[in-house]
Amino acid sequence: MISDLDAQTTEKALMLTLDGEKVSFEAGETIYEVAERHRREIPTLCYDERLEAFGACRLCIVEVEGIRNPVASCTTQATEGMVIQTKTEAIEKHRKTLLELVASENRDVDVNQLSGYASQELKILVDRYDARSGRFSGKKSGTSNTKDKNPFILRDYDNCISCYRCVRVCAEREGDYAINVMNRGFDTQIITEFNNDLRDSECTFCGQCVQTCPTGALGDKKALRDSDTEGEIEKTRTICPYCGVGCSVDMLSKGDKIVGIQPAMDGPANEGALCIKGQFAFDFIQNADRLKKPMIRREDGELHECDWDEALNFAAAGFAKVRDKFGRHSVYGIASGRAPHEAAYTMQKYIRATYGTNYIDNCSRA
Amino acid sequence: MPSESNAALISRWKDEPAPLLPLLHDFHNRDGYLSEETIRDVAEGLGIPLAELFGTVTFYHHFSREAPGKSAPRVCTGNICCLHGGNELLESLKEDGATPMPCAGRCDDMIPVIIDDKAFVGKTKDSLVHRATPMPAENPGGITECVFSQIREEGRSTLDGYRATGGYAALEKALKGTPGEVIETVSESKLAGRGGAGFPTGFKWKAVADAPGDPKCIVCNADEGEPGCFKDRTIMDHDPFAVIEGMTLAAFATGAPLGFIYLRYEYPETEAILENAIEDARANGLLGENILGSGLTFHLYVRRGAGAYICGEEGSLLNSLEGKHPFPRNKPPFPVTHGFNDKPTAVNNVETLASVPHIVANGAEWYQGLGLGDLAGTKVISLSGDVQRPGNYEVPFGLPLNTLIHEWAGGPPEGRTVQAVTMAGLSGGFVGGDLSEITLDDGCLKSRGSFLGAGGIMVFDDSRNMVEAAHNAMEFFAHESCGKCFPCRIGTQRITERLNGATPNLTHEEWLAEIDDIGSTMKSTSACGLGMAAPHVTESLVRYFPEQVEAHLSKES
Amino acid sequence: MSNPLADMEKPDVIFAIGTNMTECHPVAATRLKRALTAGATMIVADPRQTRLAKMAHLHLPIRVGSDVALLLAMAHVIQREGLIDASFIEERTAGGNEFLQHVKEFTPEWASDICEVPAADIEKAGLLYGKGNPSAIYYTLGITEHICGVDNVQSLCNLALMTGNLGVEGGGINPMRGQNNIQGAGDCGAVPNNFPGFQPCDHPESTEKFSKLYQTEIDGTKGITKVTALDNCGKGIHAMLIDGENTVVTDPDKNHCEHALKSLDHLVVIDIFMTETAQLADVVFPATAWGETDGVQTNTERRVQRLRAAVPPVGEAKPDWWIVSEIAKRMGVPGFEYESARDVFNELCELSPIYAGLDWDRIEDSEYQWPVPDRDHPGTPRLHEKEFKNGRGKFTVVGYRDPAEVISDEFPLWLTTGRRLEAYHSRTQTGRSAGIEYLLSHESLEVHPDDAEALGLVHGGMAKMASARGEIEIEVKVTDMSPQGTVFTSFSFAEVPVNILTGSGYDPVTQTAELKVCPVRVEPA
Repeated sequence: MISDLDAQTTEKALMLTLDGEKVSFEAGETIYEVAERHRREIPTLCYDERLEAFGACRLCIVEVEGIRNPVASCTTQATEGMVIQTKTEAIEKHRKTLLELVASENRDVDVNQLSGYASQELKILVDRYDARSGRFSGKKSGTSNTKDKNPFILRDYDNCISCYRCVRVCAEREGDYAINVMNRGFDTQIITEFNNDLRDSECTFCGQCVQTCPTGALGDKKALRDSDTEGEIEKTRTICPYCGVGCSVDMLSKGDKIVGIQPAMDGPANEGALCIKGQFAFDFIQNADRLKKPMIRREDGELHECDWDEALNFAAAGFAKVRDKFGRHSVYGIASGRAPHEAAYTMQKYIRATYGTNYIDNCSRA
Repeated sequence: MPSESNAALISRWKDEPAPLLPLLHDFHNRDGYLSEETIRDVAEGLGIPLAELFGTVTFYHHFSREAPGKSAPRVCTGNICCLHGGNELLESLKEDGATPMPCAGRCDDMIPVIIDDKAFVGKTKDSLVHRATPMPAENPGGITECVFSQIREEGRSTLDGYRATGGYAALEKALKGTPGEVIETVSESKLAGRGGAGFPTGFKWKAVADAPGDPKCIVCNADEGEPGCFKDRTIMDHDPFAVIEGMTLAAFATGAPLGFIYLRYEYPETEAILENAIEDARANGLLGENILGSGLTFHLYVRRGAGAYICGEEGSLLNSLEGKHPFPRNKPPFPVTHGFNDKPTAVNNVETLASVPHIVANGAEWYQGLGLGDLAGTKVISLSGDVQRPGNYEVPFGLPLNTLIHEWAGGPPEGRTVQAVTMAGLSGGFVGGDLSEITLDDGCLKSRGSFLGAGGIMVFDDSRNMVEAAHNAMEFFAHESCGKCFPCRIGTQRITERLNGATPNLTHEEWLAEIDDIGSTMKSTSACGLGMAAPHVTESLVRYFPEQVEAHLSKES
Repeated sequence: MSNPLADMEKPDVIFAIGTNMTECHPVAATRLKRALTAGATMIVADPRQTRLAKMAHLHLPIRVGSDVALLLAMAHVIQREGLIDASFIEERTAGGNEFLQHVKEFTPEWASDICEVPAADIEKAGLLYGKGNPSAIYYTLGITEHICGVDNVQSLCNLALMTGNLGVEGGGINPMRGQNNIQGAGDCGAVPNNFPGFQPCDHPESTEKFSKLYQTEIDGTKGITKVTALDNCGKGIHAMLIDGENTVVTDPDKNHCEHALKSLDHLVVIDIFMTETAQLADVVFPATAWGETDGVQTNTERRVQRLRAAVPPVGEAKPDWWIVSEIAKRMGVPGFEYESARDVFNELCELSPIYAGLDWDRIEDSEYQWPVPDRDHPGTPRLHEKEFKNGRGKFTVVGYRDPAEVISDEFPLWLTTGRRLEAYHSRTQTGRSAGIEYLLSHESLEVHPDDAEALGLVHGGMAKMASARGEIEIEVKVTDMSPQGTVFTSFSFAEVPVNILTGSGYDPVTQTAELKVCPVRVEPA
């Protein structure tokens, strides 16, 4: 009996009080994580759930009974019996002041959505807290890097708020440690070593810094080419077409035009990561070189565009002729390792069902 | 002698504990600055990402990246030096490439100018001299001293002199007993951190002793960066073995075989004094292995900072030691469980550690009895500014402020009265108005919105412009803000702008409201003490000197 | 991969061999980097000093094509030091005794001569891998593109089997697939030896099953491989249907390949661009591209994922499946009346035991890794957890063989080829994406400084590089990325058709080409 009781006690869920509500939590969870699970919508700017909590923006502060100052909920572990208030008048006032301060150091709060996945975070919070008051005016922080002419990553540090998400994602997620912070205090500036161009650094242009930037200070230059293109941005979830890792991406389009790629933060293979190819090498799709009509080789020995019926009949007749002349083992199929299943499946079915052979392969031997 | 190659320097330090700072200093000493090639080689040699190392180097005020670099004069433009011609001296040295530096901890012997590894003093270019740190004045109150009790004895700073004046008696006594007994004595003495935070020392040591993880570590925080504080310099320069013995006692008490003295850049002579003292101690079986034949092992190293106030914050200090970007760390976990290299670490101030041998030798009760009334112990106060005899004074807790200023230090200059004092260097802000009821203990000071902190008190007489003083103070905090947390990074900048006339469009009410909102948010939400303390300056300015604020704003508009 | 990508953050010891992962599978490499941060130890075997090699605790710059020798010697060390997992060998494997006996003669000293790395490092690698708990193996084409590719893979299996590193979290043998759906092409049966779902062509019951389903009599034997088919063009093979492959550029021995395709009576190519291969075709069909196509692909960890169309196709482009089906229908073949990609995929699921629990709607959230044998099955992130597919894991006794061609006075340098981060394959895609040229505008040959000096080559100058099959011109890049005696370039640039030189031999089992080893001569141009 006693041991049963003991077991019950040790298994008893850990509990704390969140805005007056008793809630359970797991050992090791931070206050922020517990509060998020209970839909508290605590504001943050330096938080990215994939990164170690950093505690820079202080927007996620909450009051904890028995502790004099508010604590940053992202870096504070929940403990048994904690009594937490997430949204008191004092806390909300501090948040508004913090947002007014942040707004005061930047050139723009409103940036184009094409800048990156998280680019609207500051704008959304500034609006939620009605923090466009223009208070606390003064010197702006950060200096845009206009000398780096790389075609992918905009480095508009006039809009940087020194949350270090870019630095941290580069180190903790990408493992490249290409960027860091120079100087200190209000003069902090995100840089590569010796403040060089990204091309001359360890940067691999994976774009993770762009996608985690909450202000658009780092922006997707390729996507931003279409800032003025007509139409709403549509997002379509798909999978990267390059290597075998199978990263989940959201394809961004405006009307019939593909304008950019964003990584899927919940993609099982990549968890928000991409590489230069997946992130930036997408526009081949709508390149002018694309084949637009079927072509057949005519008597002049050249390929000429034609309509589908003619081409399909020509192709089918050609196969039939070879089969009839040389037998069913004279036709071979090579499927693609780049096209979807449906292509490979129909290819092998075509060979097997038409010729009764296993004369089918794919490009994996190259 | 030909200078050593990059490879030779790197291989010398590579496998030493906490190698980055000493290695960078070696390069800084060799070339006068840290070249791009040096930074690349160090990054490669120590396995630090290049961008990170570059960022870290730029964090420190005193690391130059181009000639003339280290040999160019750095002139103190701290609050007190500014009142005595700091800016003018800087101007006169401009042709030599002089740059300003924040308070360099020589407010009792102004104005410090650091050239290479020498701290000169003097008020004009032609009167600069190189001389030793002033000795504390002869116990003007005739009290029972602790830290200063033997410091003035002849030869105290040598090992022989130290031993001749009772040094190492405490360690010998302690080694006959158990580590637990040392912790008990220190706990019972009620000794608390003398660096400003006032955390009970015995409690900290017990936590380290009990925490799992090896090797444990003792760190002496000698990054005395608080403006108006220069007590640790005096202690280290004139009684270095007291610090070393205190650290050895801490090592014995906690089971730490490794220790560092993290010394601020601005005390180059002190570095040599400490290095020599450590060498002497090591040579005489008082450091290293099998100390005094007891089997105790304690390896002690000096690591010199490079100019960053925030490195006095223990998380930043530990990051700096480890060769990381010196941002403060999030707490918990605290250093007692996750300190240097994530191992249990006691970080103690110089004065705290220097008190320990006296406490262990004389007993906990003796120490407790040193304060006035119910207050235990003593505190060294660095008194500077508009007083006749600035300097370090060891005071019993509870001593009236006026006794210190007027009786011990001779009061303000002839014909002047005291308008205000700062507390805790700058971190406690100003205390103005009627000072007669103020006693030097946190109970009293708290009621005036301040605290004793590290014990720096700057005196401003009635001729001083307090808005200017506040501006100078806030400029310091803005300069030293590490840039990690938003309220401090932006707040210190915005307050500075509001004190230097950069916001002429604000109405008086708007100005006050902005100052109040920024200050309140900084105090409540900043990630470390810097941002929490800085608003005391404006808070107390507005509280005690509204008419000077009014004048400032009228001038502005 | 035997294990999921997520497991790449969990090994104790990482053994990466023949994989330039930070360039070829950059996102997977980020997981290894995180494992390193968390304290894992990494061994990298690669002739070149790749970024991965620089991160390694132990880098073995082995001579190209000497992998089997290295792996045998590592097995020797593991056996000698008693680091084997005896109970795993006993309970779950076959052929263990013979193998353990076999490795006794292959000492690190023996391998050192072949691999050209110190015996002590081989010893260390064996100890590290043997002691790791768990140890995980990662490899790519640096292992398979050899005449002994199968031996290489089997040698890796032997290591994992003898140490019980299969079926465990953070362990396994993990080939990183190079193309987005190369795994899927195999899953779908686009191979000469298997029907969809790896049902063998030479098993009567599968042949019968598919003959019935496809309403025709299918051969009960494996088909020939692509390599053989290309060899036989004009001599038995007279027509080809090629879907989305630039065979002429990416396959070895370019001249041979081009000649083969030209000798066909009928070549039909489906692609999105007018590739070098399409230019030889009699009919070229414009396929819809990524972003225009609904479909499914399987990644390297066997995760079955949905592709979705975001924009309408360019011009009159059509999905590959539609084009193939139309050709079939016009030849009177039944069973191609599909209306959508969904119809095709659902048919595949019905016929394929590893997909039996899936259909178009169930893969919406990318949550399944095959095999998914039935509707209630959660999928299989980790293979071989309880048992191997065929009961027991089989040790294979393998021996070292020299590459098909070895260096000689005439061709004194080893050429090895690979990819670069910014370019993909023959650059039909990356070459048409804006900005990539800013980072990688042209190809160059990486030559060790000592070799450059000996050969009179200068950085930035041009060189002639010749093999037994041909000669190309290429710019020289002097770097210590490659060891002395070995040069490297990628096969991505049409201007530098390196596959004119390659093609010295093929693995006898898989007929994978030995693209990673080719003796060459390099001289100033």
